[in-house]
Amino acid sequence: MAKTAITRRQALASAGAAALASTLARPAIAAKEPILIGYLPALTGPSSSTGIGINRGILLAVQEINAAGGIDGRQIELITRDTQSDPTKAVNGAAELTHGQKVSCVFGPVNSGESLAVVPLLARANTPQVHPCWVDTLTDPKKYPMCFRNAPTNQQIGHAANGYVVEVLKRKKVAVISDTTGYGTASVNAYAPMLKEQGAEVVYQGNVDAANPDLKPELLRMQSAGAEAIMPWSVNAGFLSRIINTRGQMGWDVPIVGQTTLGSGQTKDLLEKPEYWAKVYPNNFRPVCYVPGGKLTDRTNAFLDRLKSAKIDMGDTLLWWIALGYDSPRMMAEAFKNVGSEPEQVVGYLNKLKGFPGVYGDISFTPDQHNGYPDAEVVMVEANSLKDGAFNLAPGYSA
Amino acid sequence: MIASIVSSGVAIGCIYALIGITYNVMFSASRVFSFTAGTLGMLGGVLGSLFISRMGMPVAIGLLLALAGGAVLGIVTEIVAVRPVLKSLDQHLYVLSTLALALMVQQFTAIEWGTDARPFPRLFDISRDGLDQQFWLPMLACAAVIVGLELLYRHTLIGRAFLAIAEDSYAARALGLPERRLRMASYALAGVIGTLAGFAGGEMLLAYFANAPMLTFYGFVPVALGGMGNNRGAVVAGLLLGLFQQAANFLVGGVFASVAVFTVFIIVLLARPEGLAGASLQRRV
Repeated sequence: MAKTAITRRQALASAGAAALASTLARPAIAAKEPILIGYLPALTGPSSSTGIGINRGILLAVQEINAAGGIDGRQIELITRDTQSDPTKAVNGAAELTHGQKVSCVFGPVNSGESLAVVPLLARANTPQVHPCWVDTLTDPKKYPMCFRNAPTNQQIGHAANGYVVEVLKRKKVAVISDTTGYGTASVNAYAPMLKEQGAEVVYQGNVDAANPDLKPELLRMQSAGAEAIMPWSVNAGFLSRIINTRGQMGWDVPIVGQTTLGSGQTKDLLEKPEYWAKVYPNNFRPVCYVPGGKLTDRTNAFLDRLKSAKIDMGDTLLWWIALGYDSPRMMAEAFKNVGSEPEQVVGYLNKLKGFPGVYGDISFTPDQHNGYPDAEVVMVEANSLKDGAFNLAPGYSA
Repeated sequence: MIASIVSSGVAIGCIYALIGITYNVMFSASRVFSFTAGTLGMLGGVLGSLFISRMGMPVAIGLLLALAGGAVLGIVTEIVAVRPVLKSLDQHLYVLSTLALALMVQQFTAIEWGTDARPFPRLFDISRDGLDQQFWLPMLACAAVIVGLELLYRHTLIGRAFLAIAEDSYAARALGLPERRLRMASYALAGVIGTLAGFAGGEMLLAYFANAPMLTFYGFVPVALGGMGNNRGAVVAGLLLGLFQQAANFLVGGVFASVAVFTVFIIVLLARPEGLAGASLQRRV
């Protein structure tokens, strides 16, 4: 039987060779390691309709990027943590993504109430973040230099919605209502003063529990205050449908102008009568709307074809949610491809991003401006024109 | 305006009263406050929508199946969350066990049914003119339950056995009454009442998993105000709560209405800790 004992010299030599081999091999392995993107959607819970739509676009984009070879041979890996529409769970998810998973960048949360809790946390962790939440304070290049918004701000949304009520519909007495979420209360607090600046009188202003089964007392208060338009700000389809149904039951001929979820499939399903959806004008975005003649832009048509070939359902969600989800990882992938995945490099690239061609809109940032969505693309639409997740522009807009 | 406040206030009050009765029926049989009462109400809406809207069953069959589902959950509550802690009632472990079961059912509903509110079917194809069915259905359900319980407790042998258990379970057992089976039957009955509350109020509350904590919370107020185990007190307190809540919604609106409701609740309990219709407990020394 042959001796198999190893001398001390052989052992040291083997260990040295192994160490050398592992050192030499590291760059090759690193080059093939996936790039981790942390992702914090609300896929369940009362504010999940937005997250469910965005999720369809994100998954498609990551699938397409990886199928095309990834970023210089490295695959994109999405590390998803469902926030369940709960800011506490969003914070827990963000902490795990940054400290446990060590992701290169985070997309989300996708609801403002959760982002209000998460943005400061990611700023302290020096993790680049892109989010689509509207509350104005959720970007600040000085306080949160690594945080970027690829969607409009409340100011942009409010300007479009308030302008539509005051200047197009010529309504001067307005009721502003929201649920009691962080997004809802922040929106009412932002929009009521804006309306006054634009010459309107806010005759009713309130935050109501979204679980309240009967909103008739609230609408009666609006009516007795002389409201000529109702502006609801909530992403809760149950809450919004109760406002629309109550208006219909009261036979009150007043326009409802406000949050984009007013036009979602979930809201539509909860209406007592289809005709109650008339004179409801949610906000939306011009690149994903039908212009007069019922057509979409070429870029959006091409995107629709991709969605159809991937068999992605659009009947119960909004096209802009899917488009926003689709654009976000592509924008990050462009940064990774051009400068790598280190935080400072990604932030440096995004700070100079100019006209990233998204389906949802062209995004640009500067070191002093981390709100990347163009003002002109925020529009109001007719809720009851919903088809394939897109809408007709509201009366008063030109092509 | 007043007609609107009264109609919706009484309707919501009837739902709260029915959930209060659900608490009481379970309490009478076991001296346990089971926090699955609101979950039963939520299931009434979800199961009704599932059977009638999604599966296309006739209303009567959908109602029967929903009530059967509630009865099953009632029995499961007794076996899983109540029976194991009956020997240590003074430690109030039932708070944890029933709350845990309620949360499990709620989360399971969220996973299987979804977390968005879904429509509850219109049960009768009749005009919405006058008092709509979404208001009179909870009132009718409440009246039917009150009359039914009165007949059951006063005019049937099994009803008297329920009362005997509620009065003194040891004495009832000594007389040969099957205490465990009667307790299970009480929980099944509570399950039916709780589910009926959610079913009758489905059009108003929608089929929504998050109705469970809301009903658990607001349904407990009539029990505390009306006196524990006192069904008549629960009905009166439930109706007053619904009316006061709707009046507060109109007068002060928004989140202030909830503040107003709970301010009054606390003041009443400070003044009469045993509830408006409850009797002071005699402490044995």
